Amino acid sequence: MAALKKSTELLESVYSVVALLFILVACVGLCDAAAAVDVYRLIQYDMSGSPFGSRFAALNHHAASLSFPPGADLSRTVLIIPLRELNITFVREYITQKKPLGGLLFLLPEVLSFKHGGNKQVHEKEKMKKLLAELERLLVHSNIPYPVYFAFENDDIDTVLADIKKNDAMGQPATATTGGFKLVIPTAEPKKVVSPTITNIQGWLSGLKADGDANQLPTIAIVASYDTFGAAPALSVGSDSNGSGIVALLEIARLFSLLYSNPKTRGRYNLLFGLTSGGPYNYNGTQKWLRSFDQRLRESIDYAICLNSIGSWDNELWIHVSKPPENAYIKQIFEGFSNVAEELDLKVGLKHKKINISNPRVAWEHEQFSRLRVTAATLSELPVAPELFEGTGSLFDGRQYVNETAIIRGVKLVAESLARHIYGHQGKNVQIFADESSLAVNPAYIRSWLDLLSQTPRVAPFLSKNDPFVVALKKELADHADEVNVQHENLEGIFTFYDSTNARLNIHQVASVTFDLLLLLVLGSYLIVLFCFLVITTRGVDELISLFRRPPSRKVKTA
Amino acid sequence: MTMFHFFNCAILTFGPHAVYYSATPLSEYDTLGTSVKAAVVYLGTALVKLVCLATFLQVSENDGFDPYQELLKALIGFIDVAGLYFALTQLTHRNISQNHKFQAVGLGWAFADSVLHRLAPLWVGKGARIHMGYILQGLEANANLVLSISLAALASLIWLRKNKPKTLIPIIYACAGIVATMPSITSYLRRGLGWYFPKVVGFELFTSLVMAFISWQLFFCVPKALCMSSRVYALLYHSKYEAVLIAHQFTSQASYVVLPWTTPLPTLDFYRLCSLKV
Repeated sequence: MAALKKSTELLESVYSVVALLFILVACVGLCDAAAAVDVYRLIQYDMSGSPFGSRFAALNHHAASLSFPPGADLSRTVLIIPLRELNITFVREYITQKKPLGGLLFLLPEVLSFKHGGNKQVHEKEKMKKLLAELERLLVHSNIPYPVYFAFENDDIDTVLADIKKNDAMGQPATATTGGFKLVIPTAEPKKVVSPTITNIQGWLSGLKADGDANQLPTIAIVASYDTFGAAPALSVGSDSNGSGIVALLEIARLFSLLYSNPKTRGRYNLLFGLTSGGPYNYNGTQKWLRSFDQRLRESIDYAICLNSIGSWDNELWIHVSKPPENAYIKQIFEGFSNVAEELDLKVGLKHKKINISNPRVAWEHEQFSRLRVTAATLSELPVAPELFEGTGSLFDGRQYVNETAIIRGVKLVAESLARHIYGHQGKNVQIFADESSLAVNPAYIRSWLDLLSQTPRVAPFLSKNDPFVVALKKELADHADEVNVQHENLEGIFTFYDSTNARLNIHQVASVTFDLLLLLVLGSYLIVLFCFLVITTRGVDELISLFRRPPSRKVKTA
Repeated sequence: MTMFHFFNCAILTFGPHAVYYSATPLSEYDTLGTSVKAAVVYLGTALVKLVCLATFLQVSENDGFDPYQELLKALIGFIDVAGLYFALTQLTHRNISQNHKFQAVGLGWAFADSVLHRLAPLWVGKGARIHMGYILQGLEANANLVLSISLAALASLIWLRKNKPKTLIPIIYACAGIVATMPSITSYLRRGLGWYFPKVVGFELFTSLVMAFISWQLFFCVPKALCMSSRVYALLYHSKYEAVLIAHQFTSQASYVVLPWTTPLPTLDFYRLCSLKV
């Protein structure tokens, strides 16, 4: 009898411990992560105090697709929109009418990813480019009070999206037995980037000074801005704008350093190479860089060529100037370029855009030079000036968008024109940088730098002073130039930026708790019924009753 | 499937075994050792079956029903029966009555079967989405428990009871045969007739209940000449008159129904029999 009592007690205690353990585990592990994806946040910035971009970063809402049941309340749901189903008017409606939404997640085709896309060809380039450009324009200039993220499609997300669509098509709310998905991004609130720096790198190639020549040699400047700005700063690699310009500048620097290494072939012009930052913000960096110049140096600059987006053109390049085309200097520059262009079998056009001093908007880099009375021109494939924050490294501007041959031809054009001007061979049919000579343009060099640039997002507020990329640029320029100077400035002015540009998204599959509780109830009652049934059939009803009555008669007996 | 759901499916699959053990007199007589030994024997037979299947069976490309292969599988399934025989007869049990022995063996057998076949999928599927499959699996485990116990009962009838009424023997063997070949029958239903899993599980539950009822009838109707449940002793001992009468009625009723050639024992003889054992 005692043994019996002991065993039942033991069993009971075991049961209770097991039950407690399982309840604990159930409370802790209620959701299971079905997938984890890298996501990139929409830019968040203030311009003259007005907020723009996505104002929140943390996310913890249910997911829905575009086929959500009409009239559903979306204030606590995240819409997942793949690019191929994007309807711009729908998104525009939501944003401009300030409809409540928990969040937006845009899925971009994997081919655009610089980590995994590789060099696959993009189908329907033009259509995608247009769509992405429109989307970016809408998002960058709106104030969106919920998180907006970009992600690349992969198998995990595709299966999750298919499941979500199925659920939505059935009109089931997310808490039904088939379960829903919860998107969780556990980040802190985005903070302002304190005193963002812009770093200008300049390289100086000295020309040949004849003995007894006291005057300063004239200087020719070649400038390109290297930073980008896009809807998703972590994805803003700007292969064409302005990766192509940087690569061209580095190649030109390399070629001229070869020429200038030998005093016999050193020209009588100094060459100043400038890699400026702050391009998208009205070329703020270029302005600061020019202002830091000595007056004499500034006056010695004959002219400056700015390179902007020369990576995806076919046959026509444009030279943009702000001085009237009748100006002698402009004529000279243009003729030099046209002659070389003819030989290279491409066209160069001239475009004139007047500067409006009162307008703070600076569309081309050469305008900063012109405002300080330095003759300058911008060589670009774009026929018209881009708007603010457009064409400065958008989502489609990846490695697939640039064409190496275009850059090589651009380099040849600029280098030949400059060389003819420096060595006084204008009008002569002399090829200095001929192919298969030791001064030929090196396609491998261009390709490797282009690949590197296409994998490096370069939004200035997120590039610190000692960012490895900036250091790499400085080192490269130091290889080619005699003297390299780095200038750090603060990006002041009307722009304020916020951090938190990329995060990790966890997609949790939510099983409804009510279903499990119900099931537990059913199973518990089943087991209890089974227990009673077995007790009754094998031991008799008395036994069952005695189980529930603690024997008080015992105590009575002993007393 | 979350942890909670895993817990639910686990108690559906393994709960009945524990409940059976604690509810029936098995727990009082501490027959855990027997169950454990039976479980070990099951593992051994499973290993032997695996080796035989690997040696003799050909892997078929399609999922159809191949009669020859199924026959081979059924033959190999009889190794199960051999294992059960071994567990029932060869293992030394303590003084447990036959009534409890078959229950303990059947319980241990079913528990080992559930653990081997159902624990791994449950544990591995802890992250998957499918809800219903695991619940059906749990129901299948319940049916399997009932089937195992009935099979053990029939097997104990075949091998442990020495004097069986002649007419009953073919019935006993037939029932045992049906229960033993249940796996083949279910696989034929699933593959040959293309039944869906819920239907198959329903069929299994139904047949298990039917077979349990039949084997219960058979078991309690074959007279236990010198082997009475201790409960009956207790009833007789601390007995009221009604208890004795109930016991008597039970046996006599059985005699009437199943064994027409056996005369019902007179009450006096009944008492004498009891006192003998006592």
